[in-house]
Amino acid sequence: MSKIKSVCIIDDDPITVFGIKKMLSMLDLAEDIKTYVNGKEAIDDISRMVESGETIPQVIFLDINMPIMDGWQFLEKFLDLNVDGKVRINIVTSSIDAYDKKQWERFKGLTSHLIDFKNKPIRKHDILEITRVA
Amino acid sequence: MLNYTDILVGNYDRMLRGTPTVTFDYLVKQLPTATAFINKKYEVVYVSDRWINDFDFTRKEVIGRSLKDIFGKVTPEWEKVLKDCLKGISHEVSLHQQTDELGNQRWFEWTNTPWYDEKENIIGVILQTEDVTYRIRTEIQAKKLENLFDTKSEITNIGSWEYDVERNHLTWCEITKKLHEVVPTYEPNIDTAINFYKEGYSRNAIALAVDKAIQEGVPYEVNCQIITAKGNEITVITTGKPIFKKGKLIGLIGTFRDITPSLEHEKKAKRQERHFKGIFNSSYQFTGILDTQGTFLEVNETALTFSGLSEEEVVGKKFWDAYWWPIPDYVKDGLKQVVKTAAEGEFMRSEIVVLDKDNNPIPVDFSIKPIYDEDKKIISLLAEGRMIKEMVAARHKLKESEQKFRALYELSPISYILSDFDTGEILDFNTSFEQTTGYTRKSLGTLKVQDILVTGSKTQLLRIKKEIETNQAFGPEEQQYIKKDGTTFPVLVSGSLVGNKKGRKLLWSTAQDISESKQSEARLRAEKKLLRTLIDNLPLNVFIKDLDSNKVLVNKAELDYVGLKEEDVIGKNDYDFYDAESAEISRKEDMEVMQSMKPMLRKETISVKKDGSMTSFLTSKIPLMDEEKKVKGLIGISLDITDLKRKEEELHDLINVTSVQNKKLVNFAHIVSHNLRSHTANFSMLLDFLVSETDVEEKNRIIKMLMEASDNLLETLENLNEVVAISTNINLDKKPVNLFEKIRAVEQNLAAYLKNNNALIINDVDEDLIIKAIPAYAESILMNFITNAIKYRDPMRKPVVRLCAEKQDEYTVLSIKDNGLGIDLKEHGEKLFGMYKTFHKNPEARGIGLYITKNQIEAMNGKITVDSTVGKGTTFKIFFNEQN
Repeated sequence: MSKIKSVCIIDDDPITVFGIKKMLSMLDLAEDIKTYVNGKEAIDDISRMVESGETIPQVIFLDINMPIMDGWQFLEKFLDLNVDGKVRINIVTSSIDAYDKKQWERFKGLTSHLIDFKNKPIRKHDILEITRVA
Repeated sequence: MLNYTDILVGNYDRMLRGTPTVTFDYLVKQLPTATAFINKKYEVVYVSDRWINDFDFTRKEVIGRSLKDIFGKVTPEWEKVLKDCLKGISHEVSLHQQTDELGNQRWFEWTNTPWYDEKENIIGVILQTEDVTYRIRTEIQAKKLENLFDTKSEITNIGSWEYDVERNHLTWCEITKKLHEVVPTYEPNIDTAINFYKEGYSRNAIALAVDKAIQEGVPYEVNCQIITAKGNEITVITTGKPIFKKGKLIGLIGTFRDITPSLEHEKKAKRQERHFKGIFNSSYQFTGILDTQGTFLEVNETALTFSGLSEEEVVGKKFWDAYWWPIPDYVKDGLKQVVKTAAEGEFMRSEIVVLDKDNNPIPVDFSIKPIYDEDKKIISLLAEGRMIKEMVAARHKLKESEQKFRALYELSPISYILSDFDTGEILDFNTSFEQTTGYTRKSLGTLKVQDILVTGSKTQLLRIKKEIETNQAFGPEEQQYIKKDGTTFPVLVSGSLVGNKKGRKLLWSTAQDISESKQSEARLRAEKKLLRTLIDNLPLNVFIKDLDSNKVLVNKAELDYVGLKEEDVIGKNDYDFYDAESAEISRKEDMEVMQSMKPMLRKETISVKKDGSMTSFLTSKIPLMDEEKKVKGLIGISLDITDLKRKEEELHDLINVTSVQNKKLVNFAHIVSHNLRSHTANFSMLLDFLVSETDVEEKNRIIKMLMEASDNLLETLENLNEVVAISTNINLDKKPVNLFEKIRAVEQNLAAYLKNNNALIINDVDEDLIIKAIPAYAESILMNFITNAIKYRDPMRKPVVRLCAEKQDEYTVLSIKDNGLGIDLKEHGEKLFGMYKTFHKNPEARGIGLYITKNQIEAMNGKITVDSTVGKGTTFKIFFNEQN
């Protein structure tokens, strides 16, 4: 299995970010890992990438509850971007709110990108399974 | 004529002198006048042929025969004339009638002149005759007509006319002119006369008739119409008769008679006749008209029907021979006597018996009386008979009704009592009385009114006595009767006083047993009372309204509700109890129900009384019908649901609160789960790493992270605890808090912080304003907003926070306005007060402050709103509820 060129993690919890990064490097799955502490930072950077023609991350780990711009707000904006090819978006959250599950279902229907939903904690085998090209 | 007699006489001498006798004889024979010469012995000497012819003596030898011989006799008058002639005395021409051998009457004009010889000696008489039969006849007829016209026409309104053919001249008499309605000077001619006849049948008929009369000599009588000069149409009978003279038509004479009035008169007469006949025949009496000799002239139909005879069988017969008299001769003789007496002017009347057509003897009230004419002469007798049978029948009927009354008297359910007014002794009573009281007829003679009346009502008795004495009657009124067995029962009594022949005062009383009706009355009363008790104790307002929505019945609940007494409510309407609007609505409902006849069921209504108090009702209005199914009002039933409504609202509020709480709780649960899970997930992950980590440095890093995670968990738990505390202490007592003072206290607490941030607090709240709040929450809220305002200040501006307050409805609204960064409410509005929601890149933002603040405000039944513009600032409005 070839390595994924670019993975990004969007989460305000430094421990989670640390954990995912560590697992990804342990498994040696990604060439490049970017991290953002909220949706706003992430969407701003990815929008810039799309505009400048850079390759955008193929796999995105996305937290929901974040300050300034949460996961859903990010997703809304991301889907509006003119992105070539499919991106795999893994929603990683500790929320068990039915509302969030519904939002996930809604977004899945709106896009050709692959959106997955995982509850924390994330284990190594989870990472192995969800870190692949869509 | 006389002239040529003179000639004859004058020439006589010459004849006798120069002419042979034969010649003289021959001469006489040819005389154009009928002439005879007779000698002194009245013997015919010479005679003319004309004379022979006129008297039709052609087959008779007359010469030498005496007049007496020839004519059979010579009347003394004639003989005298003849004798006078012989003496030389001439007589005027005289007229004589002669019947010829065929028996025809003929008229002759005789001229007797003396016959002289040449010596002037009278030797005989010369008879000259002229047959004037025709002339005489015409004259007689004319005379007759004249007479007719002159006398009769005046009376009968018959006009006459004459038409002279030779002169073509038409003459109308005055009456004829009058009938034509022309002026008396009018001159008619045959054409104008015919033109008076109505065009069509009348004119054709008369023209034809006149023509025929002139051409063929046919008389006519035509009934036709003329139109008078004045344009009136009359019906006339016009006659015409041709007049001939010696075989030649010389004219027409005729009559002209207006029959228009006579037609009407005839009609009138007939009508009167019919009228009389009608009365005559329809009379219930037998009526006959007799002549004074007792012969029936007329008899009416009643009599004929009764006897079964026809008119012909009676009229013309003698009165006493009529069928209906019983046979015995003395009856006939008696009747003869009666008729005779009546014919002498007596009015006779008696009761007799006649036989009807079936031979049944019928008593009759018979009378006969004379009828006088204008001259007080008895001309006929009027016989009348009135059937006494009718009276008998009436008597019979009376008896029947008496029996009927008896039956009624005996069978009536009402008791009849006949008593002596003075003594009270009961003289008679009916079966009903026996049945109700138990007394039998045996007690008659001993029983008195006093015995059957309950004593103790002496005043009543006295009053009744007085009433009878003044009014001859009393009642109806209630009394108590005692039965034979001593029990009493109520009766409705009335009575009237009757006198008997002996002058005794008797009292007829009727007594109706009313125990039954009394009982039912009592039952009715009880039922009514029960019903009243029922509706009065219903926890419903019940009322009945008439067509004008005036109340005719209200129950206790309704009275309690309006707060008035029954007499102040009956007859009044809703306008008297409620404000105009409520009353108007109610009246409209009433009309709708009464007009449509459909009930209004369980409608929620609100009544506002004059004092402004509002009551919610669940009202039903049901149309009330009378016996003819016509609406006479309505029945209303109202259930006061004010409490129910309030409870419903409270419940509603409670449900709202509960659901809000529940939502909050769920939200909170999610927050808790989320936060705890995120921390535990981190623990789990880090511990995983730690176990498998070999690098010491990395291990230390992981442990440091674990400690951080542990701290975060603790903090989270503290936050949650705080939130839970607010939510569970929902019933903490609110106290009056001086807002101004509170703000100042917070300001002092934050003095260092404010100074460090160079912030300005402007407290514009009224110094005396008191709010109701939980003091700790108030302080926490103020602290939170003020620090937030500074925390999220615009770095380019000096932070200024302005606080002011105003009353708004049941709230005191505190506005906290800053000049900070502002929040994009479109983006973040709904999450603003969420837990752990942060919106600024501020490391101090923890997403818990506003969440807790909101919870505290809601715990005090308040609410919070926000208004913000990015780059300008934010205004929070906190609504403190003044109620509990």
